[in-house]
Amino acid sequence: MKHQHINKIMLAGLLVIAFALPLVIRSATYLHILVLLFFYAYLTTSWNIVGGFAGVLPLGHAAFVGIGAYTSTILSLQYGVSPWLGMLVGGVLATIVGVIISLPTLKMRGAYFALATIAFAEGIRVMVENIDYIGPLKLNGPRGLQIPPLETGLASFMFASKEPYYYIILIMLLAVMLLTYLISRAKLGYYLMAGGEEPEAAMALGINVARAKLIAMAISSFLTALAGTFYAQFSLYIHPKSIISLDMSFEIAFIALIGGRGSIVGPLLGALLLRPVGDFCRIYFGDTLPGLHLVIFGLVLIFVMLYQPRGIQEPISRAYQALLNRLIPQPSLGR
Amino acid sequence: MLYVIEDMINGILMGSIYGLTAMGLTIIFGVLKVINFAHGSLLMVGMYAAYWAITLTGVHPYLALAIVIPVMFAFGYALQNIVIKPIFIAEKNVREPITVIIVTTGIWYILDNLTLLVFGPQYRSLTANPLQGQMFELGSMFVSAPKFYGFIIALVTAAAIHLFMQKTIMGRAIRATSMDREAASLMGINQYRIYNVAFGIGAATTGIAAVALIPFNNVFPTVGVLFDIKGFIIVVLGGLGSISGALLGGIIVGLIESVGPQFMTATWTEAIVYGLFLIVLFVKPSGLFGQKHDW
Repeated sequence: MKHQHINKIMLAGLLVIAFALPLVIRSATYLHILVLLFFYAYLTTSWNIVGGFAGVLPLGHAAFVGIGAYTSTILSLQYGVSPWLGMLVGGVLATIVGVIISLPTLKMRGAYFALATIAFAEGIRVMVENIDYIGPLKLNGPRGLQIPPLETGLASFMFASKEPYYYIILIMLLAVMLLTYLISRAKLGYYLMAGGEEPEAAMALGINVARAKLIAMAISSFLTALAGTFYAQFSLYIHPKSIISLDMSFEIAFIALIGGRGSIVGPLLGALLLRPVGDFCRIYFGDTLPGLHLVIFGLVLIFVMLYQPRGIQEPISRAYQALLNRLIPQPSLGR
Repeated sequence: MLYVIEDMINGILMGSIYGLTAMGLTIIFGVLKVINFAHGSLLMVGMYAAYWAITLTGVHPYLALAIVIPVMFAFGYALQNIVIKPIFIAEKNVREPITVIIVTTGIWYILDNLTLLVFGPQYRSLTANPLQGQMFELGSMFVSAPKFYGFIIALVTAAAIHLFMQKTIMGRAIRATSMDREAASLMGINQYRIYNVAFGIGAATTGIAAVALIPFNNVFPTVGVLFDIKGFIIVVLGGLGSISGALLGGIIVGLIESVGPQFMTATWTEAIVYGLFLIVLFVKPSGLFGQKHDW
């Protein structure tokens, strides 16, 4: 049997497991943890399009989560617009904001770009905290917005149990992973990677690096905003300190670097490693040892960066390949 | 009118202390070209060191400098040598040391939360504090004494760093490395040792800021976060790598924060600071005093 076939079978098996998990895990707490795990994997995969492939360090993606969450929530609370439609509107709005902020910042060097994105996200948070109304739109300042329970169902994007949320975020995650795979195989992906590694060389070859980065940023901010709507519908309460928080922006970057920046499975692997650690520390040591999970995050990050600078995806995929070779030796290609 | 003048004086005093907190950041950036996100945590560590030095020995708050400066220098030197240097070496051929930036964020999380685990979340302030609430009277205006002393400390520190950088051999080696690390290496300067020393000096300067803050600022595990983002804004305003720029950037931020509330809700001043920061980044990324080759 060829390795490609085995890979396909493994992939299918993992997908079956992912879709069957809620049938096994009945605990609402564990499902909640899984939903947030996939939520962060989704965010990080979206971040990775610009933060991984394009080789810049955006540290303000929480702003796009906030834009998505607030747009769909305001539209649905005040105008009865379906959150699904609001999700798209939020995505478009985030894309516009993302492009506007990127035009002057993307040509900056790494550290400056990181600082600019932080200032931009913090600025948005401060504004949302200080604005009660934009014209007729009620933002409700620091108090945030509560989404009152409506009739549940797919149309209203509101469910009584966790399972539907699990499947929605799982499908969103798979879709965005497929998209990053396609981007990495498309011209845009090559342009981004070339521009991230050696901008001068790439430009000398006639690649419009700035344009490729801008497109990546637009895609990334659009996708990130969609997750914002999901989060709003999942938690039914949004407020600026939690949804446009610097901690969220940093956690996304942490997961990406630990998992493997610029790889397709890296963000998911990073989330699989970090999120459960964080959640279990919070559940079991939240009262006695507050902040323990953040110490662990920091330590994991430093150790991974010291010993596996390309993230944990590299040793994992190497071990998987070695195992395959051991179990099913392939005929040599006659070299 | 008198209120505005009083606010301006307080803004300049507090702003110079902001500038002092940002000087370490700008030194480290100037040499390593890395934004140290753990900077606020260094300040926090310095404040705890100062707090315990003063509380345990009962000396005058400013005498804690004798303990805090060497402790913070050693701490910064060790941090750079043990944690950051290996990553620097691994990333040597990468143009944009992004990993180092994120690793400093990891250090921030570790330091803040270890402090939380060890000392708990409570706010601490000096119990026997001779400077508590001390005021100078200027006619009908009041000026906080510890903030005035902080202003003096900031000026003296800036002058001392300037002299050190200009007059000593180590200072020259540091400046050479910050201008061109390859050329400096060719001249026989060990760039990684320079990084260690620069990080140590940056941390020690932050320790001075911590001592200046401790007479009127509470100590708690996340105290650094308040000065973290502010520090980044200040150093970009003044020009990353520039000591006098940090002082001036700090005073600008201090003035906006103290005079702004006369005209608007206090929380809006924060948005103005971010806006100004973004404008400077867009229009003149090298800041008011920075060198163009830095960005």
